[in-house]
Amino acid sequence: MAAAQISTQAREFREAAQDGDFLVKACRACGEKHFYPRPHCPVCGSRDVEWHNSSGRGEIYSFTIMTGAKRATAPAVIDLEDGLRLSSVILDADIHQLRIGDPVVVSFDTDAGGVPALAFTTPEADAARAYSQKALASVLRENAKLGSGALSQGIKLVAVIGAGNMGIGIATVFAKSGFPVLLIDQNDKALKIALERIGETLDRDVSRKRLSEADAATIMEAVSTSTEIASVADADLVVEAVWEQMELKKAIFAEVDQYAREDVCLCSNTSTLDIDEIAGATGRPDKVVGLHFFNPAHVMKLLEIVRGAATAPSTLAIATQIGERLGKVPVIVGNAHGFVGNRLMIAREREAARMLLEGALPHQIDGVLTRFGLPMGTFEMQDMSGGIELSYRRRQETGEKNFIIDCLFEAGRLGQKTGKGYYRYEPGKRRPLVDPDVTAIVEEASKAEGIQRRPIDDREIEDRLILPMINEGAKLLEEGIAARPSDIDVAWQYGFGWPSWKGGPMYHADQLGLDVVLSRLNSLHQTFGDRFAPSGLLREMAGAKQSFTGRSFPDAA
Amino acid sequence: MEISRKACIAGIFEHPTRRADDLSVAQLHAEVALGALADAGLSLSDVDGYFCGADAPGLGGFSMAEYIGLGNLRYMDTTETGGSSYLLHVSHAARAIASGQCNVALITMADRPLAAGAGPVLAGVDSSNVPEREFAPPVLVPPVFGYAMVARRHMHEFGTTPEQLAWVKVAASHHAQYNPHAKLRDVLTLEDVMSSPMVADPLRRHDCCVVTDGGGAIVVTRPEIASSLGRPIVNFLGAGEAMKHSHGGRVDLLHSAGVRSAEKAFAEAGISPSDIKYASLYDSFTITVIMQLEDIGFCAKGEGGRFVADGNLISGVGKLPFNTDGGGLCSNHPGNKGGMTKMLEAVRQCRGEAHPAVQVANHDLVLAHGTGGLMSSQHMAGTVILEAA
Repeated sequence: MAAAQISTQAREFREAAQDGDFLVKACRACGEKHFYPRPHCPVCGSRDVEWHNSSGRGEIYSFTIMTGAKRATAPAVIDLEDGLRLSSVILDADIHQLRIGDPVVVSFDTDAGGVPALAFTTPEADAARAYSQKALASVLRENAKLGSGALSQGIKLVAVIGAGNMGIGIATVFAKSGFPVLLIDQNDKALKIALERIGETLDRDVSRKRLSEADAATIMEAVSTSTEIASVADADLVVEAVWEQMELKKAIFAEVDQYAREDVCLCSNTSTLDIDEIAGATGRPDKVVGLHFFNPAHVMKLLEIVRGAATAPSTLAIATQIGERLGKVPVIVGNAHGFVGNRLMIAREREAARMLLEGALPHQIDGVLTRFGLPMGTFEMQDMSGGIELSYRRRQETGEKNFIIDCLFEAGRLGQKTGKGYYRYEPGKRRPLVDPDVTAIVEEASKAEGIQRRPIDDREIEDRLILPMINEGAKLLEEGIAARPSDIDVAWQYGFGWPSWKGGPMYHADQLGLDVVLSRLNSLHQTFGDRFAPSGLLREMAGAKQSFTGRSFPDAA
Repeated sequence: MEISRKACIAGIFEHPTRRADDLSVAQLHAEVALGALADAGLSLSDVDGYFCGADAPGLGGFSMAEYIGLGNLRYMDTTETGGSSYLLHVSHAARAIASGQCNVALITMADRPLAAGAGPVLAGVDSSNVPEREFAPPVLVPPVFGYAMVARRHMHEFGTTPEQLAWVKVAASHHAQYNPHAKLRDVLTLEDVMSSPMVADPLRRHDCCVVTDGGGAIVVTRPEIASSLGRPIVNFLGAGEAMKHSHGGRVDLLHSAGVRSAEKAFAEAGISPSDIKYASLYDSFTITVIMQLEDIGFCAKGEGGRFVADGNLISGVGKLPFNTDGGGLCSNHPGNKGGMTKMLEAVRQCRGEAHPAVQVANHDLVLAHGTGGLMSSQHMAGTVILEAA
C-alpha cells in the first residue's frame, strides 16, 4: 500500500493496533458505531464522531476456509459484541474446527512492512500460542543455566566434514552467521559442487533482497575447502556430516581426534546413531556431542543437542551457545535412536506406510495432516526431503524389504528432485499432484502383502498418526531422553512446523485429555497390536488426572 | 414518465468465442456491436446512443466510439456496476429513448481474462485503492470466499444443503447440452457436482461459474423503429436497480439488493413474480441463484434451496426455467461479468428463438436479473422485465 494514501484515521487506527487496541468510531449524534473509521458518521452524516475502543471479542457469523494458503486462513464475517458485523479473516487457528457461533478475538497481523492489519483468531489458538512462548522460553532458560556465553567466544573457524546435502546446508548456516568455514571432503568434485550450491543459496537471498551483494561476497570468501581431514588442525569446532553409517563415522572421528586441537569439541550431525559409540572412537568423549540439524539446515530452526553419557556440561554449553548464534533453537536431548524429533516422526511414518497397505492413499493421509494444521503431510515431506532414497539405501544395508519404497525407487521416483515420488510434480512446481501410477503401486503392494484393502476414514487416520506420536513422546519422557513435555513440543514446532497455535503433540494430548488419549490408544492396541501399547507414563498420568503441561510447568498448573 | 413499452430490444449478439487468444478487447467490442446491429437490421450510422462498462479499453466510451465507428452519438452512459452493468444499461437506454435523448442505443461488453491470464478480476476496476484497504484484512480474499460465506450462513439459517446448491448446476448443465458454444456441455449429475473438489467450503468447483473470454451486445430502439425491422418485438416493460453495502459494519449475508431492484421492476412493469415464464438469473455461483430466487420473490426467504431441488429450474421439467443457454455456470461468463449474457438469453426466450429443446412454450413475460460486485459486501442489483408483443 502506498504510504502517501494513509489517512489520519488509518494512522490512529494503526497506532492503537500496535498496542493491541481495536478502534471503531462512535457517533455522538445518533449513537451508532461504524467500521472502517471515517471522520463522519456514515449512518447519520454527523461529523461529531469519536474513537471507541472495541473489546475485540465477538463470534463467527459465517466463514469459509482458504485451502492451499501457506497460513491457516479462514475468511469470516464476525459479529462483534459491540454490535458491529464485519468481514475479516481468522488467521493461525484450527480453521477446520470452526463453527458458526464460535468465539473469536481480535488479533492484529503485522505484515512485512510492519503495518498491523485487522484479523481475528480463536481463544484456543491464543492459549496455545501463549503456551508455545512459555515452552520456548523454558528451553532457552535451561540452556542459559549451562554456562555463560564466554565459552563459545573463542570459536572462529568451523570445520564441516562431508560435502553432501546436509554438509552443504550446515556450512551455509555457519558462514551466514559470520563463522569462517572449512568444508572438508575427500572428493574434490563434491567440494566444487558444494561451493556452487552455497553460491546459489546466497544469490537467491540477494535476489530476494534478504542479503546485500557485498555481504554475500564476504560470506562466500569465508568458505574454504580441503580434501584432507588433517586440516581440521586449524579448526575451533568440528562438525561431522557424512553418510549415516556407524563404521564410517567412527573412522572419521578417530582420525579427526588425531588432528584436532585438544580443546576442540567434535560434533556429529547424526540423526539416529548412538553418540556414545561415536564418542568412544575418540580420546575425548567429554568433548563429543550431537549437533542434529534438520533438513534444509539453513531453514529449519530446530537444533537437537545430543547429550552423550560422557558429554561434559561445558561441551553442552558451547553447543547450545553456538546454536543460538546460528539463530537456531537448540534443544538438549538424550542419546536414543531418532533422539526426540525423528523418534516421533518415525512413529508417524511407520503408521502412515502401514495405512497405505491397508487402503489409504498418500493424498488422503496428507490431507488429514494438513487439515490437522501441519504445513505439509508426511508423504509430501518425504518427497521434499528425499526420504524415499534414504529409506531405500538404509534398507539396502539391512536387507529389509519394502514393496512400495522399492517400487518407487526403482521407477526413479525419488521425490521432488526427480519430478515424482509419492506424487507427481509439474516442472519447477512444488505442488504435489495425485499420480495414478502411485495408486497402482500402492494397490499392487497390498496384493503382494496379502492385505484386503478397505476404506479408512479420516478420524482413524488422524488417531493412528497422532496418538503414536504422543505415546512416543511419553516414552521419551519415561526414558529421560526428553527433559520436559514442552521440549518435545518446541522440537516439533521448530523442526517440523507444528503450528504454535496448536502447541505441539504433547500440548495437543492435554487438549484431548490424557484419559481420552489413553482409551483411544487402548482400543487401537486391541485392534492393531502392540505397537499402540500405551506407555507406562501415559497410563500413570491419565490415572492420576495429570497433564503434560502441568508436568512442564508445575508452578503454573 | 411512463416507460413501459416505450422501448424495444431490437438486436442481440453473443460472441461465440470462449477464449480470445488472437482477438483484442476492442476487436471483440466491435464484433459484438456489428453482430447485434446485423441482427436488428440496423447500421453503425443509425446508432446515436452508446453504453459500455469499464471493460471498454483505453478511454472507455471515447475509444470505443472511435474504434467501432460510431459517428452520430448524442448520448453516452458508461455506468459500471460489475456484472450487473448491462441490465442497468438496458434500463438507462430505455429511459433515454423514452425521453427522446436518442433513438438507437448500442450496448457492448467484451473482455478476455482467460487469454490475458488475469483470473477472477474485473477489467478497468482498481481495487488496490478502495478506502477500506487501509483497515482491511492482511489477506486478499477473492470473490468466491464471499459467496461461500453467504452459502454457509444460508445453510445455517434455513437448512439449505450442498445437494440443493448442486441442483442449480445440474439444471444449468441440462440446458448447456443444447448450446454448441457452451464451455461445459456435459450433462452433470448431482454426484458429479458433489464430487468436484472443494474450492471455498461449502462451494465446490462445480458451484462456480466458468471463466471465459468473449462478450455480447444489445441494440435498444424506439417501438416505431423496432416494428419496421421485421424481427419479433421485445418490449421493455420495467426495470429496477438497487445498491447495497456493508454500511460501516452491518454486513447482511441473507438479503441482496435484489429485494429492492425487483420490487421496483415489478412495480414499473405492473406484474408480479408469478407472471414470469422464464428467468435469467445471475449465476456467478450456485448460491447466487438461490439468493436471487428468494429476493426477487419467486419463493419465500429461506425456501430457495427447496425451490431449486429436483430439477425445478430445468426447462420442460420445472416450474421456473432459468438460464436456458447454460448460463455462467456452464456456457459463458465473459470477463467475469454475467449481466450481458443474462439479457441475451432472456431476449432469445422472449422472441421464441431459444434452442427448441429449452424454449418455454409461453414466453410472454421474461425476467433478467444481475448482481454486480460482491453479494457479501458491496453490490448493485439490476432487474429487467421484458414482454413479447
